[in-house]
Amino acid sequence: MRIKRLHVEIATALTLAAVGALGSTGALELGVSWSESGPMPGYFPFYVGIILIIAATASMAQALFRMRMGSAEMRETFLEPEQTRRVLSFLLPMVVFVIITTFLGTYVGTTLYLFYVAWRNGGYKPLIALLVGIAFSIALYFVFEKAFQVPLHKGPIEEMLGIY
Amino acid sequence: MENFELLLGGFGTALTPMHIMVMIVGVLLGLIVGVLPGLGAPNGVSLLIPLTFTMDPVSAIILLASMYWGALFGGSTTSILFNIPGEPSSVATTFDGYPMARSGQSTRALTLAFMSAGLGAFVGIVVITVLSSWAARFALRFGAAEYFAVYFLAFCAFIGMGSASPIKTAVSLSLGLLLSTVGMDTVTGSLRLTFGIEALLSGVSFLVVVIGLFGIGELLATVQDGLKFRGVASRIDPRDVFKTMLELPRYATTLLRSSAVGVWMGITPGGPTAASFMSYGLARQWSKPGEKFGTGRPEGIVAPETADHSAGTCAMLPMLALGVPSSATAAVMMGGLMIWGLTPGPMLFSTQPDFVWGLIASMYIANIVAVVLVLATVPFFAALLRIPFTIIGPMIVAICFVGAYTVANSTSDLWLVLIFGVVGFVFNKLEFPLAPLVLAMVLGGKAESSFHQSMIASDGSLGIFFSNYLVGTIMVLALGLLIIPQSLKFIQYLKSHKNADSAA
Repeated sequence: MRIKRLHVEIATALTLAAVGALGSTGALELGVSWSESGPMPGYFPFYVGIILIIAATASMAQALFRMRMGSAEMRETFLEPEQTRRVLSFLLPMVVFVIITTFLGTYVGTTLYLFYVAWRNGGYKPLIALLVGIAFSIALYFVFEKAFQVPLHKGPIEEMLGIY
Repeated sequence: MENFELLLGGFGTALTPMHIMVMIVGVLLGLIVGVLPGLGAPNGVSLLIPLTFTMDPVSAIILLASMYWGALFGGSTTSILFNIPGEPSSVATTFDGYPMARSGQSTRALTLAFMSAGLGAFVGIVVITVLSSWAARFALRFGAAEYFAVYFLAFCAFIGMGSASPIKTAVSLSLGLLLSTVGMDTVTGSLRLTFGIEALLSGVSFLVVVIGLFGIGELLATVQDGLKFRGVASRIDPRDVFKTMLELPRYATTLLRSSAVGVWMGITPGGPTAASFMSYGLARQWSKPGEKFGTGRPEGIVAPETADHSAGTCAMLPMLALGVPSSATAAVMMGGLMIWGLTPGPMLFSTQPDFVWGLIASMYIANIVAVVLVLATVPFFAALLRIPFTIIGPMIVAICFVGAYTVANSTSDLWLVLIFGVVGFVFNKLEFPLAPLVLAMVLGGKAESSFHQSMIASDGSLGIFFSNYLVGTIMVLALGLLIIPQSLKFIQYLKSHKNADSAA
């Protein structure tokens, strides 16, 4: 079955309502009523959470209403298979990039990520793709660490090489 | 006249070699950001903020503001040459800009866009110069209740006047407000909504959220449709530039009308995007008969560009004078101001006159710098877009993540960027507006503390928000903005149904 826009509207609204509920219940623990010094810390987040639940529910109701009124927009497929493929082929390497960066540092992560995308998605020769990655990482190093004096996240390899 | 003297002082601050350099760098960075898909003005500014922590605030704000002007110009460049709006606010420029460029008049189209943009910005800055100290003096009478009322007005204006669905705007706003409460509560000092997750102790940074929503989210939207750049030749002929400049006086009425639209939409939270569309629509309705709009009509370029830039500049006025930004980029800049230890709002004018007037003076200069630079560098930036996306895309991604890391030197922020990237993508597809979310995140803390203070002052009675004419007027205005547009729509809907029924 194709996922229609209506389904995503509903799923998004439910998720947002759940976030609102999470916020409100979290706020309940802090106290949402009044103390001698004014509203308790949970007061504001509690009501904002409630508003979010109401607004999200309303957006779901609106989507369902428009579907019933025969809105073509709601029947549209959310992502065509080809679009899904494109988005995933862009998103998944990004997730891996974040994981590698967390453990091995920015430079290793960036080099590998640029290399992979240029090689697999861009169809460049592995050597050229790797050069692109390395050149960009070196540029990052000089712009951030040298020019702006902002340290980036480092991993064990930088430590081995003595780059701080 | 007092403003004029202050402005001259501001020129003294802004016209140093160092600051001119900062402007040039800012405008160039802004052009890059404006030209590249996925890097817009809001997240370009977000990426730059961590790098300004060590700079003095005047240079920092000049850098950020110049980047904003550059991004506005860069957005128009891609709209005209590639039919790809680099910024949401330059979508309307594609309607006539791209057809004109395709008919072999790309220099004329670009010059028209840049010159009218520059003029629009100029009008905006003059308005700021004239109104800012007046607005600030007015705002000095504000107490906590008035401040809350102004924030409330900003939120209501987004719901009532925004181009997106009011319900979805409300969702964005409340989500942003909720996110702003995570972490340490500034009023009571207690930790809130961290759910035992250590990374949430310091709260969710709006910079990280902006980078995710606007950077990664926009990139995902770009790849979804596959990238097809069909660029138009981008050589600039100086003679054509000059000829087009002489042509400009012919569009004086369009220029004036569009500036007025831009000024209005910039001061109220309509923002540059709404301004450019509205101005384009008005130009189509009011202009003299001639070639059809959408086929490369000059007014179709002049109108949205003028309004876009005058709105973009005017968005700085409420930010500086009241501490209420009216566009996503202004919201991010205001967040930056707070990070540098400055409090945006009326006090800024009396405590930091150098800062305020230096910034205002720099706007005059930076926009001239931007017009010159953008004309000189168009071929270069057009070449930038011809780099294959499989190379430039990951670079943009890497810069987004690196930028998010530098906000707080924390790797958990990388995951937040990823999450908000997906959120931004879905929100984009479902037409949830993103600007209200950012605005709510930046204003959330201030809105809450002013609410808190008013409640303490009134012993918990909401009556304080109607206790005097000033706060009462603002509240009534806010509620009016919230209710009236919706009821009008509802009445119209009922009427059209009645007609349909009686016709049947």
